Amino acid sequence: MKKYETVFISDPDMSDQAREELLERVKGIIDREKGILLNIDDWGLKKLSYEIKKKLRGYYVCLTYGGTGALVTELERNFRLSDFIMKFMTILITEDVTEESLKQEAEQAKEAAQEEEAAPQEAVAEKDQGDAEEKNEKADENADDQGDAKETEAELTSEPAEESKE
Amino acid sequence: MYKGQRGGGKNRFYQRRKICRFCVDSTMELDYKNPKALKQFITERGKIIPRRITGTCAKHQRKLTVAIKQARQIALLPFVGRPLN
Repeated sequence: MKKYETVFISDPDMSDQAREELLERVKGIIDREKGILLNIDDWGLKKLSYEIKKKLRGYYVCLTYGGTGALVTELERNFRLSDFIMKFMTILITEDVTEESLKQEAEQAKEAAQEEEAAPQEAVAEKDQGDAEEKNEKADENADDQGDAKETEAELTSEPAEESKE
Repeated sequence: MYKGQRGGGKNRFYQRRKICRFCVDSTMELDYKNPKALKQFITERGKIIPRRITGTCAKHQRKLTVAIKQARQIALLPFVGRPLN
């Protein structure tokens, strides 16, 4: 078995219901082909770097799963048939993983998700502080980090960019 | 030992040796899902900046190019970007 990651961009104008149906169908395909779904990462609406089907925005979803090559071909065949999916990309993460280790990982991911649900209030409080200090997008993304760490990180990342322009 | 540090000879022009940023900071991960980090290694036009300019080591430059190309594929980075002006 192999571990794959598939990112697909769906139509931004889709209704929530249609989006859920689509996700269900994807899950169904993975089940049917005896794959193990590890994680669904919903990136949400994002701006595209270039137009796809005349659209400037797209709804990103990232799936991590274990399965065989047949599963990937079946999944991609369905993506091609669907009108709502604008683009997709599958990446091989690890070759040769055992079914048991994948199942374990899936359970761990579930537990982690539950823990996150249990303690959302703390995260929100930290996020508010971060936003007050820096209003930019970075504050949103690194909400879990502390303010100090964020600043040094920003400095570090900005410096070499200047260097490269020279 | 820096190249050209001997002084006196014709090679008076020497630059500070560039260091690979991924080797220095092992926490930095090369991933197509993080376009913000990758953006530092492309020009405004969207081209990948060569190793001789950024100082990235060969191993990491290889991984970097793959990550950038993957990010382009899924529209996180442009194939052709607009110039700034």
